[in-house]
Amino acid sequence: MGRRRVVVAIVGAGAVAAAGVVLSFLPAERGPRAARAAGTAVSTPAPADPLTGAEIERAEAVASAVSRQAMSSGRVRLLYVERGDDKDPGGSGDGWEGGSSDGGHRLAEAYLYDYGTDTLTVRTVDLAGGRVVKETVSHGVQPPPSKAEELTAAELLLAHSKLGEGVRRAYALVAGGPPRSASDLGLRGLIFTPSQEEGGAATRCATHRCMRLFVRLPGGRWLDTSRIVVDLSAKKIHVLEW
Amino acid sequence: MFLLPPLMRFFAFLLPLAVGSPPGLRALPVGSRAASGPRRLRVVLALALCCATAFPGAGIAGAVAGTTVTRGAQAAPTPPCSASYRVDRTLPNGARWRLCWEMRNIEGLTLGRVVYTPRGGTPVSVLRSAALAQIHVPYDKGSPRFHDIGAMGYTAIPLQAADCPGGERREQFVCVTTRPRGHAYLKSDEEGSGRTAQGSDLVVFAAFQLGWYTYIVEWAFSDDGAIAPRVGATGSLAGFTTTPRHGWPIGVGSKHFEASHTHNVFWRLDFDIQGRTGDVVEQYDFTGAGTARRTIKRTVLTRETRAVNGRARWWRVVDRRIRNADRHPVSWEIENSGSAEYRGPANEAFTRADLYVTDYRSCERLATTNPAPRCAKSVDRYVNGERLTDPVLWVNVDYHHVARDEDSDPMPTHWQGFRITPRDVTARNPY
Repeated sequence: MGRRRVVVAIVGAGAVAAAGVVLSFLPAERGPRAARAAGTAVSTPAPADPLTGAEIERAEAVASAVSRQAMSSGRVRLLYVERGDDKDPGGSGDGWEGGSSDGGHRLAEAYLYDYGTDTLTVRTVDLAGGRVVKETVSHGVQPPPSKAEELTAAELLLAHSKLGEGVRRAYALVAGGPPRSASDLGLRGLIFTPSQEEGGAATRCATHRCMRLFVRLPGGRWLDTSRIVVDLSAKKIHVLEW
Repeated sequence: MFLLPPLMRFFAFLLPLAVGSPPGLRALPVGSRAASGPRRLRVVLALALCCATAFPGAGIAGAVAGTTVTRGAQAAPTPPCSASYRVDRTLPNGARWRLCWEMRNIEGLTLGRVVYTPRGGTPVSVLRSAALAQIHVPYDKGSPRFHDIGAMGYTAIPLQAADCPGGERREQFVCVTTRPRGHAYLKSDEEGSGRTAQGSDLVVFAAFQLGWYTYIVEWAFSDDGAIAPRVGATGSLAGFTTTPRHGWPIGVGSKHFEASHTHNVFWRLDFDIQGRTGDVVEQYDFTGAGTARRTIKRTVLTRETRAVNGRARWWRVVDRRIRNADRHPVSWEIENSGSAEYRGPANEAFTRADLYVTDYRSCERLATTNPAPRCAKSVDRYVNGERLTDPVLWVNVDYHHVARDEDSDPMPTHWQGFRITPRDVTARNPY
């Protein structure tokens, strides 16, 4: 596969600070479902329905209210909003035949990450009441990357002196010119947590928010970026050795 | 309850009392003969008559759906999900499946409120929630080791018409279709005519682009009451090169050794047979290896458990309050016989069992890299001795992929999965 040629080009540097890339505030992005739901007027969702676009916006606003300042500085980011799907204590199950169907009380869980303190906060929003009814905070828990984080990671990668050049060159080979921005790349991020087998320079990822970033070029080819780890907390790139 | 009109709420409250069901149990036991003894039937009929008279049009709704009780004018129960997210399919032989789907940001395709109605029978709820819980991909040479479930919902692939043959696409990303499953049965008789039937499956699937792989996450609901969850990996090989010790030569010559790896797929299954209470998990073994006789051995799992596969071993989730017409308790059996049974290093203890049984906890969603604060991070840690009151099953099925020349683009799909089959849901073969 041509991918192997690219590996040689972009792997080989150590951890390098990538200055100039800022984790800017962005609202929680919409998944494919939410993007469509936002344009659909669903006035009264059924208990097991996904969150509507309006519900997601409401949950974002409520969950962000107390973190607005940290979010505007980019230190905290709202990753996404997930429907709260806990069972109601009094609910008796599926709800098809009438009777009580749990999930009738619509809840949304907003995931917020603080890159300064490496803290995950999940705020549960009561959508009917428009208030936060539960908040859990934890260190060392890494929910999956959001789309905005993937983009930030790609910006860090492109800003890297050696690896960024490798990506641009590989892109130009198939597209006829370099990418205008990180959003030209196909991106897919997975959380990276160092293990005994995969530690090395990335040991700080035991506490930092780090991801592996897969990069797809026009035409569908994937770069081998599996040894590259993007540290969103430190705004650095680490290269694994294995 | 929340969405029911006031009258229905009133009756939904009364009726379980009238039929003597435990609190929280809506539907009657499967098999009307067992469900409604003469005394109970009289009470229900009296109540139904009262209701129909006093509140014409209100009916007794779905609280006794599927029983032989004569109903008044019916008010249609409010389904738990709206039409876009609802699947309600009666297969050609009369088996009916109902469920709701949701594309969650983290788990991707999630099915809920799964209810099976055998032909001529009453509905029985099976699963409150079912979804993928992880795809762990360790490479034979030790690295890399991926946990492929990221934000699955964002990676769902818009399906084209050709991707969903004969089916309907829901919001681009989910295909709902039916397909033949071969012989439901074939039985000859002395006259040479015999009985034969072809079966079919309701299939719900979505596809996800995770790096170079495309994962097809599929659930087949069979017209004999079985459920077959499986994951297909297709798309492209990673293209990782390795040494001959850890790979297989593909392409021209013997220079490129594609790295061998394993896909360890975990599913989370929250069984709720007619409600969350009453479910018990049993393990079945058959002693007598090397002997002529085999003896059945039943182990009731009263506490959270990690279990490994064994020859002829299976498990079932049984609710002894819910009986078929033969008075046998209704159950759903888990058979996990198609796994490569990968066992990883100590820091991947979640790979060291094939089935986990945990007590329901809303924050326990993924088998590894669990994203919830103040919650354990992996399924092996969820098992901490709690008494089981509302069991959740986690099934681990592994596939060891040693690449071959045929795996060049587009890589042929390789599948892995398991089966959930009804055991004594009906008193006889209803088809």
